[in-house]
Amino acid sequence: MSNLKRNRRIDKAFKLVGIACTLFGLLMLVIFIGNILVDGLQRIDWDFLTNLPSRKAEKSGILTAWTGTAWILALTAMIAIPLGVAAGIYLEEYGKKNRITAMVEVNIANLAGVPSIIYGLLGLEVFGRLMNLGASLLAGAFTLAILILPILIVATREALKAVPNSLREASYAIGATKWQTIWHQILPAAGGGILTGVILSMSRAMGETAPLIVIGALAYVPFVPKSPMDEFTVLPMQIFNWVSRPQHEFLVNGAAAIIILLLITFIMNGIAVYLRNKWQKKIMW
Amino acid sequence: MSNLEIELQALKENLLEMMELVSKQIALCSEATITGDLAIAKQVVENESRVNALELTMDKDCENILALHNPVATDLRFVLAVLNITSDLERIGDNAKSIAAFLIKNSKKLDKNYIDKYGIAEMYETSISMLTCLSEALKKDDAELARKIFKEDKVLNKKNKNGPKVAVALVEADPKQAKLIVRLLAVVNKLERVGDLATNIAEEVVFHVEAKVLKHNKDKS
Amino acid sequence: MVLQCTFAISGRKKLCGKTEQKVMKHIEAIDVNAYYGDNHVLKNIDIAIKENTVTAFIGPSGCGKSTFLRTLNRMNDYIDVFHLEGKVLVEGNDIYKKKVNVEELRQKIGMVFQKPNPFPKTIFENVAYGLRIHGEKDKKKIEEVVEQSLVKAALWNEVKDKLKKSAFGLSGGQQQRLCIARTLAVEPSIILMDEPASALDPISTAKIEELINELKQNYTIIIVTHNMQQASRVSDRTAFFYMGELVEFGKTADIFTNPTKKQTENYISGRFG
Repeated sequence: MSNLKRNRRIDKAFKLVGIACTLFGLLMLVIFIGNILVDGLQRIDWDFLTNLPSRKAEKSGILTAWTGTAWILALTAMIAIPLGVAAGIYLEEYGKKNRITAMVEVNIANLAGVPSIIYGLLGLEVFGRLMNLGASLLAGAFTLAILILPILIVATREALKAVPNSLREASYAIGATKWQTIWHQILPAAGGGILTGVILSMSRAMGETAPLIVIGALAYVPFVPKSPMDEFTVLPMQIFNWVSRPQHEFLVNGAAAIIILLLITFIMNGIAVYLRNKWQKKIMW
Repeated sequence: MSNLEIELQALKENLLEMMELVSKQIALCSEATITGDLAIAKQVVENESRVNALELTMDKDCENILALHNPVATDLRFVLAVLNITSDLERIGDNAKSIAAFLIKNSKKLDKNYIDKYGIAEMYETSISMLTCLSEALKKDDAELARKIFKEDKVLNKKNKNGPKVAVALVEADPKQAKLIVRLLAVVNKLERVGDLATNIAEEVVFHVEAKVLKHNKDKS
Repeated sequence: MVLQCTFAISGRKKLCGKTEQKVMKHIEAIDVNAYYGDNHVLKNIDIAIKENTVTAFIGPSGCGKSTFLRTLNRMNDYIDVFHLEGKVLVEGNDIYKKKVNVEELRQKIGMVFQKPNPFPKTIFENVAYGLRIHGEKDKKKIEEVVEQSLVKAALWNEVKDKLKKSAFGLSGGQQQRLCIARTLAVEPSIILMDEPASALDPISTAKIEELINELKQNYTIIIVTHNMQQASRVSDRTAFFYMGELVEFGKTADIFTNPTKKQTENYISGRFG
C-alpha cells in the first residue's frame, strides 16, 4: 500500500487508540464516583454535617472532621504560603547561578517526591516531641507545611520563570530596584501561577492522612477544636476510621464523607482554574 | 515635516535664489550694453562668484539628500532636475560674465546702430522674459508655464541665424570697425546660448513635474 | 580649578575649559573593553557623544552595538559573566564606580527596547510607574506628568479617552510610543533606543522617526539600528561597529557620502553584513 495510505491509516488508528484510552479513564472515574454516590448520597443531610461522631452510625456526623480539616488548612496556609512563596522568589530572582543553588534546586525537587509518611515521622519528632506541641493542630499544620513546601516553591518558581524577561528589563530600565520590580511587576504578573500552586498544594494537604496519623491525630474526637493546641481529626482520617469498621452503616457514612471530601477538592480545584483563567486574561502576553 | 521635506524645501529656496541672481545678471548685462555703464558691467563680473558658490552648495546638498534620504518619484526627479538646472544656470551666468567682460574691455559705449541691426535689445528682452517665466514655473512647479518659453526661444534662434548676414553688411559699411562687429556677433551667439540653456531648464521642469523627458525630442508638448 | 583659555580663530571665539567640555560631551567612553566570560565582545571603544544630538550605531548582527548601548545604562549588570574595563563617563562622572546609584543613573538615562514591552497595567499606570517608584505621591503631579509625557510622545490624542484601559489594547506602534512616554515621565536627559522600530510597520516606524526628530531638541538620543536608511534619515552622527570594534564615527552626511574607511563603505553599500 502506498506511503500516503499507510500514514493515513496510522493516523486514524492513533486517533482511535487515544479516544479509547480517554474513554477508559473517564469510565473508571464515572464508575468510581457513581459507586460512591450510590452508596453515600442519601446519607448526606444537615445532621450528618453537624453531628459529632458517635458509636451509633445513624447519629455519627463529620462536624469534628471537617472543622479539623478547616483548621489544618488555615494553619498550614498561614505557615506554608509565606515561607514557600518567599523561598521561591529568593531562589528564582536573587539566587546566583552557581553549583550551590543548583544543588538546592535538585534537593527541593527531590523533597517533593518523598513519601508523606516520612514527613509524619519528622513531624512527630521535631514538632510533637522536641517542640512539645504534642498531637495538636499546630504540630499537624507544621508537618503538612513542610510537606507541601517543596511543591509551593517549585510552583512559585515556575510561575516566576513564566514572566518574560522583557518585563523585568523594562522595570529596571526605568530605575526600579530589584525589590520594586518584584513587588510591582513580577508578583502581580506571576500571581495567577502562584495562586494555582497555592491552591493545588492546599488540596494535597487536605488529602494527606499518613503524616497526621503518625503525629498522633486521633480517629475519635468528640469535640470541635477551639485552639491551635487542641487535638483534632480530619476528614480522610474519619473516612479511614469508618470504612475499617464492619458495620454496613458506617460504610455508608464513609461513602458520604468521601463525597464531601471530593466535593471540597473539586471546588478548590475549580477555584484554582477559574482564578488562573481570570489572571491570564489580565496579563495576556 | 520630515527631514526630507525640510531639505527639499531648502534646496528649492536656494534654486530660486540662483534663478533670481542669474536673471538679474542678464538684466544688468542688458543695461550695461545699452547704456554703456561700465560700473554695472563690473558688478556682473563680481556677482559671478556668488553664482558659482550657489552651484557648489546645491551640488553638495543634492548629494547629501540622495545619500541620506533615498528620495523616490517626484522628490527624486526634483533632485535630479536641480542638479541639471544649476549646471545650466551656472553656464548662463558664465555667458553673462563673458558679455560683461567684453563690455569692460571695449570700454566705449556701443553704437546704437549696431545694437539695432543685430537686434540685441530684443534678444535681451526675450531672454529676460524667458528667465522670468522660468522663475515662476519653478516657484509654482508649473510645467505648462515652462513650456511657454520654447516658442520664445525661436526669436533668439532667428536673430542668431541672421547674425552673420548682419555682420557682413555692417563690415562692408564700415570696415574699420570689423573687429568690434565680429565681437558683437559673439555676443549675439552668447545670447542665443542663454536661450538654449533656458529651454534645457524648461525641459527639466517638465521632467520633474510630469516625468516626461523632452530632451532631444523635437515635439515639446 | 577650572582652566579657561580663549583664542580667536578666523574671527570666531572659542572658549575651552573643563566645564565647557563636560557640557559638550554628554556621554563618553574611554578605552572600553567588555567581556562575556572569556569572550572579548567590545574592543578599545573610544567615543564621545554630544548633547542634544541623535547618534546612530550601525553594524552587522553580533558586532557589539547593542552590547555597547547597554553598557551606557549598566543594563549588562544583570548578566553574571559580563565585565567591563575602561571608563564610561556620563556628564563627566564614571558610572561604573562602586558608589554610583544605579537606579538614579537609569532615571537619567532611559531605554526603549526592540519589542514594545509595556507593563500589563493600564495606560495611565504604565506611564505613572516610573514616578511612583521614585517616590512621587502627589496625585495631581502624577496626572500632570503622565499627560505631558504622552503629549511629548505624540500619543496623548489617541489615548486620552482610554487611560484606564489595558496597555495591551494598543497597536504595536502605539505601544512603543507608550514605552517612550513611560521613559520620558522620569525626565531623563539621555534616551537609548535599541532598534525601536524594527518590530513595527512602515507607518509606525515613520511616526517614531518623526518623534525622534522632535525629541532631539531636548534630549540626547542614541539609537541602535540595523536599518541603514533609518540611520541616515534620523541621525546627526553615525558610529559603525564591526566585530566589537568601533570602525568609524562621524557626521552622518560624511559617513554616507564619503566614509574614510573602506570597511564602512562596504557595509553601507550592502557589500557585506
